[in-house]
Amino acid sequence: MPTTFFGWVGFLLQQYGGLFFSGTCTTLLIALSGTFFGFIIGLLVAIVRTIEIPRGMGLFKRGLRKLAHMLIAVYIQVFRGTPMIVQAMVIYYGSMQYLGIDMDHTMAAILIISINTGAYMAEIIRGGIVSIDKGQFEAAHAIGMTHWQTMTSVVLPQAIRNILPSVGNELIVNIKDSSVLNVISVSELFFQAKSAAGTYFKYFEVYFIIACIYFVLTVTVSRILRFVEKKMDGPDSYVICGSQSDSRAEIVISKEQEKEVDRQWQSK
Amino acid sequence: MAEQVISIRNLTKAFGSNQVLRGIDFDANKGEVVCIIGSSGSGKSTLLRCINLLENPDGGQILYHGRDILTDESVSMPKYHAKVGMVFQQFNLFGNMNVLENCVAGQMKVLGRSHAESEKNALKYLEKVGMAEYRNAKPRQLSGGQKQRVVIARTLAMDPEVILFDEPTSALDPEMVGEVLSVMQNLAQEGMTMLVVTHEMGFARAVATQVVFMDQGVIAEQGAPDEVLGNPKHERLKSFLRSML
Repeated sequence: MPTTFFGWVGFLLQQYGGLFFSGTCTTLLIALSGTFFGFIIGLLVAIVRTIEIPRGMGLFKRGLRKLAHMLIAVYIQVFRGTPMIVQAMVIYYGSMQYLGIDMDHTMAAILIISINTGAYMAEIIRGGIVSIDKGQFEAAHAIGMTHWQTMTSVVLPQAIRNILPSVGNELIVNIKDSSVLNVISVSELFFQAKSAAGTYFKYFEVYFIIACIYFVLTVTVSRILRFVEKKMDGPDSYVICGSQSDSRAEIVISKEQEKEVDRQWQSK
Repeated sequence: MAEQVISIRNLTKAFGSNQVLRGIDFDANKGEVVCIIGSSGSGKSTLLRCINLLENPDGGQILYHGRDILTDESVSMPKYHAKVGMVFQQFNLFGNMNVLENCVAGQMKVLGRSHAESEKNALKYLEKVGMAEYRNAKPRQLSGGQKQRVVIARTLAMDPEVILFDEPTSALDPEMVGEVLSVMQNLAQEGMTMLVVTHEMGFARAVATQVVFMDQGVIAEQGAPDEVLGNPKHERLKSFLRSML
C-alpha cells in the first residue's frame, strides 16, 4: 500500500482510472446534451413569448396565446425556484411510482438537466432578444418578413452572439452541478468517485482527483467558447471588390488602415 | 386622373392620452414625391409608421390601390410590406449580415426568389447607389451615408411601388447628406412614388410634387412646393420655415 499522498493518488488513478474516465464521459455527455436541449427549450419559449398580437387575431387564438404564456411563466418559476437535486428526486421517483416508468438513469439525468437549464435559458435568451435594437425588428417587418423569419434570420443570430458568455456559464454550471444527480444513481464523475473512495476510505485523495478533472473540463470549455465567440465576430477587415479596369481586383481594408485614414483626414 | 397608390382617410393614432394624429387625409398618386414637413412631435414619423403598420392606427383608413389594408383581409401583409418599402433614420441594416446579404435576405425569404437571382438583383441596385464594391463589408464598417445607401438598395431590391423615407438624412454628417439625397433624387426622376419625411427644404423644393405641412397631428397646409414653401399662409408654417433658415 502507498504511504504518501501522491502515492495514493497514483495508486487510485491506476486502480480506478477507467471508472474516472467513464464518469467524466457521462458527466460531459449529460452536461453537453442537457445544455443543448435546454438551449432549444429556452429558444422556443423565448420566441413564443415575443410573438406580438397581429391585427385581427381571433378570440380563440388570443386565449391560446394567453394560456401558453401562463404555462411558460409557471414552468420558469417552478424550475428556477426549486433545487435541481429535488427536481431530480421528484421527477425520477414520481414517474416510477405513479406512471410506472423506469427511466434509464442517464436519460433521466439528461431530461432533468434539459428542463432545468431550459428555464434559465428562456430568461437568458429573452434578455438577448430584448438587447437587440428595435430597429432590427422594424426593418425586417418593413421588408415583409414574418415574425418567425425575423427571429431566425435577423434577431436570433445577433442575440445568440450576445448571450454566448451566459450560455457558456450555463454549460460550466451544468458540468459541475450534474454531480447532484448522483442521488438518482447516474454514473457520472461524482457517483463513480463515491464508490472509488469507499473501498480504501481515501476520500481526500479521490475527491482531489475529481476536483482536478472538473477544473480541467470547465477551463477547456470556457477556452473553446471564447474561440467560438471570436469566430462568430468574423474578421475585422473587409474586401472592396472590383475596380474599373480589373474586376478581380480586391483591396483589403483592415481596421488599422481605416483608423490611419481617419487620422489623416482629421489632421487636414 | 392619376392612379392613387396610397390614400389616407381620417387617420387617427394616440399613444395613451397623447393624441398624435388627429385625422389625416391625403393622396399619393403614382410617381409622386410627397414631402412631409413639420416640427418634431407633429406626428410626421408616426404617420409614416402607421402607413407601414409599424404602429397600429386607432381609426381611419389606409387605402392601397383602393383597398383598405386595415380591414381588407385579402391584402397579404408580407406582399404589402414588400410593395411599400421603408428607409429609416437609424438605417437598421441587419447587423449579422454583410452588405450583399442584407439586400438578398428579403428577396429570398419574402419574395421566394432563388439565391442567384436575388444576388444579381441586389448587385444591380447596389451598383446604382454606388455601394457594389462594399458588398462584403459589415454594416458596422460603413459610414452613415454608405449605410443609408445600402438601405435604399435593400429596399429597391424588393421591387417596391412606394418607398417611405423617415428622415433619411437626419442622422448623417452634413457631408454625407448630399450623397443620399442625390440617390433619392434619381429615384424620383425615374418615377418612384415616395413619401418623404424630411427637414431638407432644398430637397423638398427641388424634388417634391406635393408638400404636406403637419402641425399638432393635423395637416395644416398642403400643396405644390412653390406654393407651400414660397408663399406660406399658415402662421405656424411661416415661423417653421423661418426657423429652418
